[in-house]
Amino acid sequence: MKLLNHPVDMIAVFNMNGDIKPFKFKYKDKKIKVEKIIDIKEEKLAGNRRLVFICMTDRKDIYELKYEIDSHKWFLFKR
Amino acid sequence: MKPESTVMHIDVNSAFLSWHTAYYKQMGIENDFLEKPTVIGGNEKKRHGIVLAKSIPAKKSGVKTGQSLMEAKIACPNLEIIYPRYDVYVKASKSLREFLKTYTPDVDVFSIDECFLNFTDKNKNYEKLAYEIKNTIKKNFGYTVNVGISTNKLLAKQASEFEKPDKIHTLYKEEIKTKLWPLDVSELFMIGRRTAPKLKKLGISTIGDLANCDYNLLIASLKSHGKLIYDYAWGIDNSIFREEHDIKGIGNGSTISFDVEERQVAYKIIMSLCENVGIRLRKENKLCKVVSIGIKSKDFKYSIKQKKINYYTSSTEEIIETAKYLFDVLWDQSPIRHMNVRVSDLIDRKNKQINFFEKENALEKEKLDEAIDKIREKYGSYSIIKASYLDSGIEPVMGGYPSEEYPDMKSIL
Ligand SMILES: [Mg+2]
Repeated sequence: MKLLNHPVDMIAVFNMNGDIKPFKFKYKDKKIKVEKIIDIKEEKLAGNRRLVFICMTDRKDIYELKYEIDSHKWFLFKR
Repeated sequence: MKPESTVMHIDVNSAFLSWHTAYYKQMGIENDFLEKPTVIGGNEKKRHGIVLAKSIPAKKSGVKTGQSLMEAKIACPNLEIIYPRYDVYVKASKSLREFLKTYTPDVDVFSIDECFLNFTDKNKNYEKLAYEIKNTIKKNFGYTVNVGISTNKLLAKQASEFEKPDKIHTLYKEEIKTKLWPLDVSELFMIGRRTAPKLKKLGISTIGDLANCDYNLLIASLKSHGKLIYDYAWGIDNSIFREEHDIKGIGNGSTISFDVEERQVAYKIIMSLCENVGIRLRKENKLCKVVSIGIKSKDFKYSIKQKKINYYTSSTEEIIETAKYLFDVLWDQSPIRHMNVRVSDLIDRKNKQINFFEKENALEKEKLDEAIDKIREKYGSYSIIKASYLDSGIEPVMGGYPSEEYPDMKSIL
């Protein structure tokens, strides 16, 4: 697995309950739709809060998307 | 400090390096700066600068805090230099403080990586609690701390200085002889590079020597500082810590579980917040001159206003009156979700001068406040409450009291 912390443009859904769901993002000029979210976690390393979305594509490949709460940035983390 | 309270000192191990490591880890870079010769210093624009922090391996190679990066590089050629990221450290420090406040509202910040926690519940296993705090920090925030436990700040701080990293230590009064006295005298708080040689000349090399030295000789040589460190050697601390770091203001806020739409209800909340501010102000032996109030409405509109009083005061009554006045000016009738009160422009009580503007019976009121504080300290915060709180469903003294065991005192209503 390749480690990345790459900022990405993201279209996400913010629902009425305050839940956030990544929907579609752009990586290296490719538009990628988030197919399946397996797990959502929160990490607070050094006190910096990030929501971690563990996602699956092609029924087997796992990658992570992270949403940084303070900066409102999205990152593609592992793929 | 009352003898029955338990004090913890939380100290982040090699704070800047630990925080930097955790910050890198979050970016997906596994690079433990503590494990190899690393320093933090300089900045991106200027490559030269001084060493602000160093890892243990860097220290072993002869790198010293405060020396230039060039000297450090000569002392240790394979040294890795990282530029400080104060934004990262400040965020880490703030989040740590917020986390600690979930255990007790009584958190005293000593420095960017050190806090004191005060607990008053006697029937608690504080060692167990300390382990929980330490391990939760490690798991959630990705760095380690030392925790020192005792009955006052001095001893708690000395305890956290024992073996590092990632350790819990106690230093209760009865442990002073075995744990503190054998240490070199320079290990004692407030004994710096200048004092230690003077003590050595008096034949004092350990903290135990200091505790059992010729007191008159010590005072003759070191004056009032001699008295201070002599007390410290015996574990006596009259809580000098707060005065070291002058506090700028004292505040108290509350998020309310219902929307406040009536002035009288808002007044009660203000009074309750002010009670606590007044108690803490008097505990610090301070007087204030500025009172401010903040209101957050149901739709998260936040407005704030402050007022300067014509004289310095520590009277709860005065603070309440000013806060109510400010509230009347500020409030636009929209439903309130959160309120906070803060006093600032503080001076030490001893510097007070009698002022022409002061209300006639101010002195009486201050004495009354002091008497109430004493009773509350002795019998709990509910022993005296203003008549208006009876049946109101609002806590008479909001915030600041660990005994109620709320994870967050701010949501008490
Ligand atoms: Mg430290």
